[in-house]
Amino acid sequence: MCYAFRMDLQRKLEILADSAKYDASCASSGSGRGGRGTGAAHISGVCHSWTADGRCVSLLKVLMTNECVYDCAYCVNRRSNDVPRASLTPDEIASLAFEFYKRNYIEGLFLSSGIAGSPDRTMELMLEAVRKLRREFRFNGYVHLKVIPGADQGLIDQAGLWADRVSVNIELPTDRSLRLLAPGKTRETVLRPMHRLAGRIAAYRDERRSIKSAPAYAPAGQSTQLIVGATPETDREIMKLSEALYGKMRLKRVYYSAFVPVSRDSRLPALAEPPLLREHRLYQADWLLRFYGFTADELLDEKHPELDLAFDPKTVWALNNLDRFPLEVNTADYEELLRVPGIGVTSAGRILRARRAGALQLDDLRKLGVVMKRAVYFVTAGGRYAGVKKESGEAIKMKLLEHKNSDRQLDLFGGLEQAKEGLAETVTGQL
Amino acid sequence: MRIYLHDGSFTGFLTALALALERGGQDCAIAPEKTADGAAEPELFTEYLGAGADPAKAEAMRELFERRGSAESWRHARYAFLSESPGSGAAVLAYARLLLEKGPAADHMLADDRVRRVHALSASVGGEAHMFKGFVRFTELADGTLYSRIEPEHNILTLITGHFRARLGGFDWVIHDARRGSAALYFKGRLVVAPLEKARLQENAGEALVRELWKHFFRTAAIKERENPRLQRRNVPLKYRKNLTEFG
Repeated sequence: MCYAFRMDLQRKLEILADSAKYDASCASSGSGRGGRGTGAAHISGVCHSWTADGRCVSLLKVLMTNECVYDCAYCVNRRSNDVPRASLTPDEIASLAFEFYKRNYIEGLFLSSGIAGSPDRTMELMLEAVRKLRREFRFNGYVHLKVIPGADQGLIDQAGLWADRVSVNIELPTDRSLRLLAPGKTRETVLRPMHRLAGRIAAYRDERRSIKSAPAYAPAGQSTQLIVGATPETDREIMKLSEALYGKMRLKRVYYSAFVPVSRDSRLPALAEPPLLREHRLYQADWLLRFYGFTADELLDEKHPELDLAFDPKTVWALNNLDRFPLEVNTADYEELLRVPGIGVTSAGRILRARRAGALQLDDLRKLGVVMKRAVYFVTAGGRYAGVKKESGEAIKMKLLEHKNSDRQLDLFGGLEQAKEGLAETVTGQL
Repeated sequence: MRIYLHDGSFTGFLTALALALERGGQDCAIAPEKTADGAAEPELFTEYLGAGADPAKAEAMRELFERRGSAESWRHARYAFLSESPGSGAAVLAYARLLLEKGPAADHMLADDRVRRVHALSASVGGEAHMFKGFVRFTELADGTLYSRIEPEHNILTLITGHFRARLGGFDWVIHDARRGSAALYFKGRLVVAPLEKARLQENAGEALVRELWKHFFRTAAIKERENPRLQRRNVPLKYRKNLTEFG
């Protein structure tokens, strides 16, 4: 197969991987596909490598073409941008994915595209690539397929039959911003295919409940991405949107992508660097919505529409709700434990389990994986409290800040790692 | 003090464990005959006894873990053995004694050091096995066989073969643990684990090109404005990079 690869393929792959890399989604989880042929998907996903920016590589993430009829100001592939253009044929895409997969470089394919010609033609070619991979190569690995807004409903419906995960990127959180930066796109054009896919996913799931042999439709569900920092939306607007997407649209993941200034445009803010810390706080808040039982209104309100950059959102919530603390770890239920700063999904589970063998002391908590430098102000064990005597939010804040400075904790992704670790053990297993 | 020496096999390890438990587990220990850096210097006032490898004794140990504990306790003990870390014998011995004393409740004692040690060893092995589902890199040889060389910290080879069998069942493949001189060989649908010191390889002609494509893809996928080598190092520790195509 690989003899067919020509040297110009390298250049094309470079161009099309370069234009696809701003999509934050890397997950290969949520599907347990397998069977005859080559490949299988792993329910919790597998990372194969990490690039120099520390992001996981699990899929061959490419665009089919970076030509595009649209001229979205935030996008590197916009029509007016002077960049080299290239396209891959369905054959090239399928054999590249297969050859990479065979060598265990990747878990599968992530296929997106600019819109060349019409949305229908683009979607058709993308489907053709995935169909080839599934039928001709009998590939059972993971496929994440982007759906092209504006494509025919029949084509959109097919996406979920071939792919494990499907997605449409919202990119900008409000219609106002979309109209400003993405001429030709409206909220409606983006949400319509999402709605359609959500309906298909639900219908097939119901059918499979009664008929086991019914085909799977996007078994790893639907996701989307929001660009953060290109437009003036508040964190509250963003989190409310995510909450609605998880609730009404039953999305599996919302990704947040710190805006990397890929162009100089008077409509865009002049950012010195991508707002990575803000992105990180949004992911933390997102985790609180999905796994910790929080609502967006609990984390942010009209008076405080932005997430605190100095503290993680759970700590901020706890400081604003000191009347609920300290919590006795020997009697608190799981949902209460999850709301304690320094206690995650894993350590809350461990506390419940360890309690069955005997009462817990403060010393035991560290051994169970609780981050005591944060939790100490919010818990008692056997009635004992080791936090600051005067229980005021300000005093606790000062102490927490002291820790931060003494640790020189500018380690942005520590919290995310921890969250990921906790996440891996949850039932949904969304990595 | 008495030390039961095992031959490095799991059966041998369990036999030594059974002998130590027969003596109440006190004032005795278990250790491998050979360690990675050769035989350890014998200590004074210590009696060294070869444990041999007795399948019946090993089977009795499996039952002990499963009956006094659970399928999970047994898995923890197996994984702790596969960690090949110096303290694993002592850790599993203390854990087995605790199971004998407390029964299934022992696995709930997550703050107890005897449980934590074995759980931590087991988690470290399970974690590395999961990482290697991603870190194995195959090269296609002239005869079509896929060959991969790995050097994991723990003896995880047997924990990942099922994963690759499920996805690459239509190919012939070899995963070679060069650190331990053993390999999982999958030929025509049959899996064998056998000693393998050195492999002489002849690559398929198109291999260099596929490798270059992958390396180019990998380099391109990083966003320059987000560069974070520390985070990358934490996720791909330097010790693993030697056998990863994209870092070569």
